[in-house]
Amino acid sequence: MKFMQRIVLAAALTCLPFAACAQGKPAHKEALLYFVWPQNGTIIKGGFWCRFGLRNMGVTHAGDTYPNSGHHHLLVDVNEPLNPNEPIPQDKSHLHFGAGQTEARIELPPGKHTLQLVLGDADHFPFNPPVVSQKITITVK
Amino acid sequence: MAQIRDIKTGRVGAPPREPMPRRLAAIVAGDISGYSRLMQIDEEGTHNRVKRIERDLIEPSIVEHQGRLVKTTGDGFIAIFDSPVEAVRCSIVIQQNLIGRNAALPKHHWIEYRIGVNLGDVIIEADDVYGDGVNIATRLEGIAQPGEVYISGGIYEQIKHKLVCGYESLGDRHVKNITDPVRVYRVLSDPAALQQNRKRREGVLIFLLGLALLFIAGGALWYMLSQTGKLPNLASAPVSPPAEVQQAPAAKQPAPPVQPAPPAPTVAPTQQQAAPQPEPSPAPKQAAPLLPSASPAAPTAQPAPQAAASVREPEMISLRGGSFAMGSNEDVSEKPIRQVTVKPFAMGKFPVSVQEWNACAAAKACGFTATGKDDAPVANVSWSDAKQYAAWLAETTRKPYRLPSEAEWEYAARGGTQTRYWWGDQFQPGMVNCKNCSDILITDQPVKVGSLKPNPFGLFDMGGGVDQWVEDCWHKNYQGAPADGSAWIENECPSRVIRSGSWRKDSSYARTANRGSYDTNVRYPTHGFRVALSL
Repeated sequence: MKFMQRIVLAAALTCLPFAACAQGKPAHKEALLYFVWPQNGTIIKGGFWCRFGLRNMGVTHAGDTYPNSGHHHLLVDVNEPLNPNEPIPQDKSHLHFGAGQTEARIELPPGKHTLQLVLGDADHFPFNPPVVSQKITITVK
Repeated sequence: MAQIRDIKTGRVGAPPREPMPRRLAAIVAGDISGYSRLMQIDEEGTHNRVKRIERDLIEPSIVEHQGRLVKTTGDGFIAIFDSPVEAVRCSIVIQQNLIGRNAALPKHHWIEYRIGVNLGDVIIEADDVYGDGVNIATRLEGIAQPGEVYISGGIYEQIKHKLVCGYESLGDRHVKNITDPVRVYRVLSDPAALQQNRKRREGVLIFLLGLALLFIAGGALWYMLSQTGKLPNLASAPVSPPAEVQQAPAAKQPAPPVQPAPPAPTVAPTQQQAAPQPEPSPAPKQAAPLLPSASPAAPTAQPAPQAAASVREPEMISLRGGSFAMGSNEDVSEKPIRQVTVKPFAMGKFPVSVQEWNACAAAKACGFTATGKDDAPVANVSWSDAKQYAAWLAETTRKPYRLPSEAEWEYAARGGTQTRYWWGDQFQPGMVNCKNCSDILITDQPVKVGSLKPNPFGLFDMGGGVDQWVEDCWHKNYQGAPADGSAWIENECPSRVIRSGSWRKDSSYARTANRGSYDTNVRYPTHGFRVALSL
């Protein structure tokens, strides 16, 4: 009996972190994520500093579970919708700022690009409901 | 050119013709190793076989590669080619075909050629070719191992980016009667040859492993016999006090040496720990198989092997090192392509597993206890976490374990190839674990280490599974990167390099040249690592 109990407990404990992550943490009702710079339609020459703005929530290091806080992710030319039940992907078009950065030097090839910010929780999941910025389009000359 | 000689006889000569027909050519010299021995065993048979090989294999291969057979000697041949690439290709074809021909025969009947290729300005006549370019080719052939192709630096410079195979630098060699040293490269012609190499090493490893197991088993027996009187219920009591439920997920399996790792240096305290039952953390089940591993080492009183025995070390594969073209033109971060030379080192055969990681966590040397199956790669580790593990492993085993440099990683991932992926230029399912890469939906992610195919160096998951941290600081391209295979680092770097793709990245990330960056101290669920070992 004791053995069975142990197995069940072990299974429950293994599942716990996944279950906890499955839905993102609740977001502040009036959280607002936006681009300080560049703005929609900006024409830029070469590399630029992209600055992230966040109201009614705090920016923290990934892994920190302070309530009502998260860290930035910048989505470049991403068209597929965000899956709220998975961590925000990490690749060349999903840039992570888990050290709590609020700005970043971005270099993009010439042409039109879309940018969008997504706030992630300690485990890189989107909040619930997701805290995302407007998707802006910029042109790099 | 002081002297022009016939390669075989050393005769000075060949001035007769008026306009000397000189030209630049790639010279291939081949000869049979142990020819006289073969002739002794079976003169007629050997002669017939050699003639048949020349007729069926060597002559057609040379023609097929736009070369010309200049002459055949009793046990060898000399051919010239306009193109160094074709010359080396032809040599590889000959060697590979010979492997097939020899396969059916007993070893002492094998006809194995040694081949040397050199680029030189030579004098060409109808039935012979002269010049020290030819001499160097025959000298290269002379130092080559049976079944191998050795090329000179001149040839290497011409073919390095054009021929898909690995090259091992053998350094500058002095060859007979040639004043200047010749740079020599060994052609690692095909994955099969590498595989062979690996198998030999594996054989030795398996033997050693067997020996170690025998030791442990002997120790276990000894321990059990000596303990049966004192603690009769020890082995039959896998149920542990409920107090340690917290540790249950980590301790599920025969898993890592949980507690005894830190007090390992001496055997005595470990034994005491097992005896008093109330000790909360080490379950008796775990203590039992562990002690014997320490006990056989006790009489020798050597701390090093004893420490090594208490930790499950990652499986390593020794790599010979060599020169390769690092980078690609597919992404700005991978440019410029440059020649990098990597020293010999050993690379983890798999990414570090959950079980291996948890041994470090149990020793309180790693930041957290990983969840997931024991044989899954450990994930959600930051660069700093990975670094801690490597430091702990190095300390407990007293071996120079560390993270690989980015150059070492790419060298290992390429496995001697210059293609987009380690298996070729086209994507193939089933080689690495990446997103949308297989028609079979895998629900358990990441899949256990080593589930798919090894690369030509015998390494698994080089390109998929988990992203893998390397030592280097992130730089947006290779401008100014070191060429000696060392890690490119500064004092403080906010982000480090991750290599390989992962189960959540598509096939373009499985390319061997692909690179990415991530914050040094941040964990992410697909990030893992493998360790390297300095040799």
